[in-house]
Amino acid sequence: MYETKLYKKGIKTADTILKKFPEHGETLCMKGLILHSMDRREEGLELIRKGVRLDLTSHIVWHVYGIAHKSDKNYEETLKCYLQALKFDKDNLNILRETAQLQLQLRHYDAHVESRNTLLRLRPQLRQSWYALAVAYYLNGDDSRAVTVLEQLETSLKNLADGDAELSDILLFHIKTLEADGNYASALAFLEEKLNERRIMDRAYARTIRAHLFEKLGRLDDARESWKMLLQRNPDSHELYRSYLACEGLNLRNSSPESKLKVLEALVKLISLYPKASAPQRLSLDVAESDAFRNHVIPYLVSGLRRGSPSLFSDIKSLYRNDSKRTIVEDVVLRFREELAASNIMDTAITEQGETPATYVWTLFFLAQHFSYVEQPQKALSIINEALELSPALPEVLMVKARILKRAGDPFGAALWMEKARQLDGQDRFLNGKCAKYLMRSGNIEEANRRLGLFTKKDALNPGTDLEDMQSLAYLQQEGDAWVHQRRLGRALKRYHSIFKIFDDYEDDQFDFYAYSLRKFTFNAYIDLLAFEDHLRGHVAYITAAVAAAKIYVKLHDDPDLAREMDQGKHSRKKKRTELPTNGTNGKVVVDGSAASADPDPDGRVLVSLKEPLIKAHDILSRCDGLVHDHLEYWLTVFDVAWRRGKYLQAVRAYQTAKLLRGDHPEIHVRAILLASRDWSTCESRVAQPILQCIVSIIGPQTLDIFNAQYLQEHPNHAPAILAAARGLHVFKGSEESEGIRSLTWQLLHPECSTNVQVCLEACMFIGEVCGPEIQESFRKLCQERFPIATVFLAPDQQEERRRELQAVIDNID
Amino acid sequence: MATPDDMQGMQACNLCNLPENYNLKYYMYHLVTWPRLSYVAEDPKGRIVGYILGKMEEDPKDAPHGHVTSISVLRTYRRLGLAKRLMIQAQEAMADCYGADYVSLHVRKSNRAAIGLYRDTLGFQVSEVEKGYYADGEDAYGMRLVLHPSEVYP
Repeated sequence: MYETKLYKKGIKTADTILKKFPEHGETLCMKGLILHSMDRREEGLELIRKGVRLDLTSHIVWHVYGIAHKSDKNYEETLKCYLQALKFDKDNLNILRETAQLQLQLRHYDAHVESRNTLLRLRPQLRQSWYALAVAYYLNGDDSRAVTVLEQLETSLKNLADGDAELSDILLFHIKTLEADGNYASALAFLEEKLNERRIMDRAYARTIRAHLFEKLGRLDDARESWKMLLQRNPDSHELYRSYLACEGLNLRNSSPESKLKVLEALVKLISLYPKASAPQRLSLDVAESDAFRNHVIPYLVSGLRRGSPSLFSDIKSLYRNDSKRTIVEDVVLRFREELAASNIMDTAITEQGETPATYVWTLFFLAQHFSYVEQPQKALSIINEALELSPALPEVLMVKARILKRAGDPFGAALWMEKARQLDGQDRFLNGKCAKYLMRSGNIEEANRRLGLFTKKDALNPGTDLEDMQSLAYLQQEGDAWVHQRRLGRALKRYHSIFKIFDDYEDDQFDFYAYSLRKFTFNAYIDLLAFEDHLRGHVAYITAAVAAAKIYVKLHDDPDLAREMDQGKHSRKKKRTELPTNGTNGKVVVDGSAASADPDPDGRVLVSLKEPLIKAHDILSRCDGLVHDHLEYWLTVFDVAWRRGKYLQAVRAYQTAKLLRGDHPEIHVRAILLASRDWSTCESRVAQPILQCIVSIIGPQTLDIFNAQYLQEHPNHAPAILAAARGLHVFKGSEESEGIRSLTWQLLHPECSTNVQVCLEACMFIGEVCGPEIQESFRKLCQERFPIATVFLAPDQQEERRRELQAVIDNID
Repeated sequence: MATPDDMQGMQACNLCNLPENYNLKYYMYHLVTWPRLSYVAEDPKGRIVGYILGKMEEDPKDAPHGHVTSISVLRTYRRLGLAKRLMIQAQEAMADCYGADYVSLHVRKSNRAAIGLYRDTLGFQVSEVEKGYYADGEDAYGMRLVLHPSEVYP
């Protein structure tokens, strides 16, 4: 009755039994389980515990106790109960199967092998029992035992018809196991035999494995031919070109001039083999230099412009790391534009060369993005405005205008143009999402949610809950960031914690797939899924949210008043009312109101008033321990948290990892000074010793003054480095050097300094903290002159005015 | 070919483009059951800008056939022929690995751009109209394309 969800009837039956036998443990447990699943969790658990105590040697009570834990997703406890149950009924198939599944979920590979062995002993006639045992051995790293089991299994399957999907999966797994065991020759022989017998259905995949095996066996000619065959099928896979070239001893990443020449030669051949594929053409741009680059990039750019491909610039811009390539691209496209302009293209439908007016617009589109990227927003704007006159109804053009404004520091203008773009194609969710994102950045979170609501389920509580249900990490991150910007830290934390919750669900999702794969014979894919789950929180979306949340916790630690402000709620709430005058007043959308009714703490007060925010920060960051490779920000944040917790060895390790990633990054420089300026003499030597060693290796015998000055010299006119030096100076000199700090900060605005809005914005905040509001005010005004398009350097009340203007305009077009 | 590591990118791309969204578990179900029927297109940084999520019909009343659960390409990555290439990859695998006779899909009656792509570029034909197929009540066209097993491999 529990399984068929006849809960009431179940309780009645249990009560009847309990009347006669009030101390019947198993019945008590069953009743408890039913209550537990009827929203009377605690009461149910209490009853189950009582039942267990009364009948300690019944496998049923333990099984029931386990089931209750399992429905709470407490797998550790579930497993303990099941193992207890098995003590009293060691051959119980059901419990054994579930135990095996739990052991995999918890990655207890050793114990899992044991369970599978027992299950095979009990059910040797099932194919699954054998396959599952082989998989268990494989996962436990015991490849040779896995192979033995598979061989036994296959002998019993000799008479199966061709094209049996289950057998095919078993054979592919057999090959995988031989390969894992380092037995490449046997793996290859086995693969070829089974391919010939037509036992393997997934022939394309088998070919890929074969190519890898050829490589591992050093049979490079055979490997190359295999890759070539796969390229015929998919000539746009960068991966396949990489593998193919590797067989010729070529590496796309090798930056020596000789290697690049050879790679280019090989790619030219491939371009003629696959003339329609863009991958070899694009790859050739990475390795070609100077004139060769120009020759290759011209047809690539021109064909992209003619086709009107909106992604052309973002495809090309990674080449800009090389200054001369950037100059060539700029030159080529500017000339192309001149040619088009000279042919009076806008007056003729099509020129002699076959160019159409659209090509001219796409050329302007490209150039506008180019000049925005190289920090020439004025030029970018004038070009995109020309395109806009020619093509006022092409959303892409408006989107680029929005993007230029965003980069130039005008979030309000950017949001306005993105809204205009959206209105040109109201059916397009992509434009809708972009528009919402830009509105959030401009501080109009409610307006943003109203837009998002056009595409979310109408029966959802509000657009945000639907997006959260649908696991939209991007939405949660954007809204979290927007709340941070408005200093509503509790709300921001709520969004970030929703992201963590979604990752917990992702982790939980794998649970059912074990039984599923057992039934469907899909273990190869299942094993890939396990690998994915094992590095789940190395995903950039988790790391980004973790870092953002940890930074808030650091802020709350540094300034506990922030939390108190939230707690009392008066100050910030009042402020919020004036910030968002339409909140609930125009009746269009009641985002806040409805969320509040479902969520007892929509402002995240509980989260901001944690007693020990740094411990929380540490917990969140350490969930992706060992999974983060190339993420500087992560290691800097780990440093900042460890530093404040007094975990100096941890901090130094984080510093060293960051240093390995991006040796001379400005943020790393600031942390080096932090490390070196602390007095370590009072620290116990176990801790001080390695730290002092690290400091000596970074700074040497010189003073911090000289170290800081040297850093400046090594990065002349580089804005982030200048700001880092100013922050460094503040660390070891404090406010007494405020004049030196001020003059460094002023250098950011020197005409020769390659500066940008973002750095100056950070500098503006920093100098306010160090030198006081007056100096901050004069710096702000200078920034405003330096970046005339930017609105982020306007005084706060002026910014608020801009935001309201934007809101009024949007309300009108709505 | 899509691997489990691509699932979150596919999910994000789907949420950007389409109103029909799924939990990650549904992507897992596709990839575990038909690992060869889903494909992705990536930008130079490895971000997923287009995907196809494909499956086989589980209880076909007629011949075995494939079904496209979802396909989309980010607006900014259109005009590169990505949708077509994704579709062809999935179709070939449906025919080669599972002996599919044809592939079917659903499209909103109002989505002219997509119908154009399926019919004119990829050769699909409308086979039926399904009333009120979508959650918001809109009708769907059921479209089909007959597949021929490609023998690229000896």
